[in-house]
Amino acid sequence: MAEEFEPRIVAFLCKWCSSAGSDLAGVSRMEYPPNVIPIQVMCSGSVSPLYILSAFKKGADGVLVSGCHPGDCHYIKGNFYARRRIALVKGQLEFIGLEPERFQMSWVSAAEGKKYTEIIKDFVNTLKPLGPQTKLRRNP
Amino acid sequence: MKKKTGVFVCHCGINIAGTVDVKKVTKDLAKHPGVEHSEDYIYMCSDPGQNLIIDSIKEKGLDKVVVACCSPTLHEMTFRNAAKSAGINEFQCEIANIREQCSWVHKDMDKATDKATRITRSAVERVQGNESLEPISIPVTRRALVIGGGIAGIQAALDMANTGYEVVLVERSPSIGGHMIQLSETFPTLDCSQCILTPKMVEVSKHPKIKLLTYSEVQDVSGYVGNFKVKILKKPTYVDPEKCTLCDECVRVCPVVTSNEFDLGLTGRRAIYIPFPQAIPATYTLDIKNCPGLLPIACGKCADVCDPEAIDYDMKPEIIEEDVGAIVIATGFDLYEKENLSEYGYGKYPDVLDGLQFERLCSASGPTQGKILRPSDHKEPKEVVFIQCAGSRDPELHCAYCSKICCMYTAKHAMLYKHHVHDGQAYIFYIDIRSGGKGYEEFVQRAVEEDGVIYLRGKVAKIFEEKGKVKVWGVDTLSGKDIEIDADMVVLATAMRPSDGAEDLAKKLKIALDKDGFLAEAHPKLKPVESVTAGIFLAGAAQAPKDIPEVVAQASGAAAKAIAILSQERLFHSPNVAKVNLNLCTGCGMCVDVCPYEAVSLKDGKAEVNEVLCEGCGTCQATCLRAAIEVKNLTPAQVHEMITASLGG
Amino acid sequence: MVKLEDLKKEATQILKSGKVKYIIGYAKGAAGFMPIPAFISDPEDAENLTWNPACVHNLTKFIVDEKKRLKKEKKPDNRPIGIIVKGCDSRAINVLLQEKYIDRDDVYLLGVSCEKTGVVDEKKLAKTLKGQRVVQIDFEDNGNFLVTTESGSEKIPAEDVLAERCIECKANFPVVFDIVFGEKIKRQVDKPFQSVETIEALSQKDRWKFWKEQLDKCIRCYACRSVCPMCYCDECVVDTISFAVEPDTSAEEKAQKIKWIEKSPNLSENIVYHLTRAMHLAGRCIDCGECERVCPLDIPIRFLNKKMEKDAKNFFDYEVGFDPDQPSLVSSFKDEDPEDFIR
Repeated sequence: MAEEFEPRIVAFLCKWCSSAGSDLAGVSRMEYPPNVIPIQVMCSGSVSPLYILSAFKKGADGVLVSGCHPGDCHYIKGNFYARRRIALVKGQLEFIGLEPERFQMSWVSAAEGKKYTEIIKDFVNTLKPLGPQTKLRRNP
Repeated sequence: MKKKTGVFVCHCGINIAGTVDVKKVTKDLAKHPGVEHSEDYIYMCSDPGQNLIIDSIKEKGLDKVVVACCSPTLHEMTFRNAAKSAGINEFQCEIANIREQCSWVHKDMDKATDKATRITRSAVERVQGNESLEPISIPVTRRALVIGGGIAGIQAALDMANTGYEVVLVERSPSIGGHMIQLSETFPTLDCSQCILTPKMVEVSKHPKIKLLTYSEVQDVSGYVGNFKVKILKKPTYVDPEKCTLCDECVRVCPVVTSNEFDLGLTGRRAIYIPFPQAIPATYTLDIKNCPGLLPIACGKCADVCDPEAIDYDMKPEIIEEDVGAIVIATGFDLYEKENLSEYGYGKYPDVLDGLQFERLCSASGPTQGKILRPSDHKEPKEVVFIQCAGSRDPELHCAYCSKICCMYTAKHAMLYKHHVHDGQAYIFYIDIRSGGKGYEEFVQRAVEEDGVIYLRGKVAKIFEEKGKVKVWGVDTLSGKDIEIDADMVVLATAMRPSDGAEDLAKKLKIALDKDGFLAEAHPKLKPVESVTAGIFLAGAAQAPKDIPEVVAQASGAAAKAIAILSQERLFHSPNVAKVNLNLCTGCGMCVDVCPYEAVSLKDGKAEVNEVLCEGCGTCQATCLRAAIEVKNLTPAQVHEMITASLGG
Repeated sequence: MVKLEDLKKEATQILKSGKVKYIIGYAKGAAGFMPIPAFISDPEDAENLTWNPACVHNLTKFIVDEKKRLKKEKKPDNRPIGIIVKGCDSRAINVLLQEKYIDRDDVYLLGVSCEKTGVVDEKKLAKTLKGQRVVQIDFEDNGNFLVTTESGSEKIPAEDVLAERCIECKANFPVVFDIVFGEKIKRQVDKPFQSVETIEALSQKDRWKFWKEQLDKCIRCYACRSVCPMCYCDECVVDTISFAVEPDTSAEEKAQKIKWIEKSPNLSENIVYHLTRAMHLAGRCIDCGECERVCPLDIPIRFLNKKMEKDAKNFFDYEVGFDPDQPSLVSSFKDEDPEDFIR
């Protein structure tokens, strides 16, 4: 039997909330699937659409952008800009026919280790039946 | 130059090595382009571990280091210091978090090892794009500015001055003291407000380190933390305080009578006046708005009678420039406008008062010398209705927020009323009683038990005057009964709002306001006294409604935060800040719009970053369409390589 | 109706008075009925100006070019340039003002109203006329075009041959101008995003099938980028090297350049190129449709931009190019921006 498909996810996590939240999941030893590679950024507001497109192009099966809850941004309002920008990217990706499930955004606070693990678990479970992302991938 | 990166993989005992095959990670990383040296060790953060890094840097001539270990929040500093001590720039050291992000959350060794390798490779790619940086050093002007001379400003100024720093205290009215000096007695101990505040006011006026500028307003603020330049407009008082002997002759001859702000219009004052007897500075002010004219021909009576010739009609507004290193804003509150509360007859019926007016009625120095009398006919009111939340907690019509102090001061008012009028009856309409605070709940209970105050849970529907009474119709929602009271007086616990001009000032200081117009703190939990702008701190009711002990605590907190800056000769700031590529910048200003810290501005049609203000969040980087602005050591180019390394292979 | 004589008169006058250094307008082309952009500095040449439904070009692109040229000059002639703008073009001017790329004084805007119609889609026209060679096309009353072919003249309902973007147009009258020709006629646009909605209505698989086919065709000639007045970056992300090459840029520095998007035309790179371009035009594209018109492979590039326009309107109530003082779409936010897609 062929090995089960293991999707690869790139997660852009803001340093102050989501990265800290995912660290908390670690400290609390909450298990979640190892399919996600975290990339710590300073703020969700710093995630350029190019990062997302690039990750898909380099073969990511899913991309997650996660920041502080609205009003809690360490940089006051970076996540509000992120929210607007990501909404546009998401709309565009769906418009060209990428499976909407492949691109997600979340608010994960420094206290929400549990939420982070659930997001990753659910993300992996949604991606598995979709199979590899080949649409934007270079030379699949 | 060829990059020589060293990778150091920590076992963290079995914390990492239990799930991640550290030997394999070490071996795989050794093959990664640019990696000169790769090694694992049981505890990298231990002294032998750190020495291993230091020795390898020296022996192998490494110029960049990645430590694959726990979260950077824990040991980034440790390893950066180690790298520094080995002679390489501290910013050439990055952490790959393979514990919290990997070994602690996964069980499958193969998969965890693969992930740890990817995380570490990504960190190697990042560090290879790092510039060597030095912390940004900023000189500090070791003086402070305090804006607002109420209790918050007074406390902050005294705390800083007593620590040895010069303070410029700016107050826009003729005297310091703020609203607290208008109060009669203070809850929950019923100290006389003036008795506890005036010594502090005198201390301010006598303090060798405090430069007091009353009747003055901040006009312009430029610069940044440690180095603010402030322009202050000192309005002319037309009275030289040095010459004035406080003989009061000028007041006697002044033909103009106008409403007295200090008594909230319950009394009058002359055009030349001293706001209240204990005013600091103790001198008169000629109120030019009400004075018939400065030309001697128009009136000139006050100057005529002034023996010491203290009155000078030629006094001109003055612009005073001050350099300061930190600013504390303590601009306080005002009461919600009367006009907005017409449903309570406030401003329409003379016997409907606001809380501050009632304070003046209770005050021994007030218009009635501490006797509680109705403004309309100077009779003693026998039934008084107090209404809480007048304008507060009413998102539909008024302010959505709770003004916080009204529950307590209304209890106090009712109590003071009973102390003055023993046979009187006090009623309080309330929504909830919020008496959180030391001794507060007991205080409210005392009002009920000892002074027989009747609390009625409900809102007042209608207030109108009839036959010399103020009729109050309401509902007691606990009993469901309609309530009708023929009151002699109604006192509204009017909502607090940010003081007039706070919005203007916030703009000058480039700090944010919250949705209600109060000054916004940098973080609601962890930075309650900081504004979003470094070096500018908040104290008192300007930030949110609060009572005196809270104001004083916050003022001391703000002072301590300011002192933390003033106590340094130089400030150091993270050099991971944005930089502009002038060749690519088109000057569209989108980075200027998004910067939460006003750190980016346009100069000669190009963006310019003030490195001192920049916090390195990178929102500008994602917004810029031209890739013309990027944050040092986490540039899009670096992120690109990190993405590639995370996914490759 | 726009009176061409009035336009010519004004042009002559502003050239004579020296109010503008030259005028960018439309003139009869050397071959066929399509006009060409004309740069007129001699008042006598104002006679050559033309205005008809084939004036499709967004001339503001040339303002951007001029601006670039002036930056390099030692003693730039900073007198205003006269330019003929349709409604859509005038919105482009507003965006350029918003982004401080130009000053209002840089341009003297000669607005022309599209009134009830708009400009023609050359391909639709050819189809309608079944191969007859068009000599001339003119505006006619009642929403018709008067088309002159070699075999005679005929009235054609404009809607049959109107460019797609004109059917969805919200600015048939210039939103900013110094002088305007023609009438302001209110026109009801019932479905301003019909084109986008047609694609959105497809299943996810069909959408992919559609775009895969379309974007696979792209040969990366960058005509879309070249014609776009908003693509005024000095260095496009496609060519990004994260720094400008200076004489002292070392070979190693050049080698370090990151390639977000490879230049080679293949589906993946093409998608990233076109999506990035659409993202960069979000809140900036005023739907002049030039990118799509010039595409040699007939890729419906406009849809990608129109999708952004639609989302900007529906999600953020943001409309492009009507107010030069509003902050840009992506450099602003509202507390109530939608976030139902966020977990």
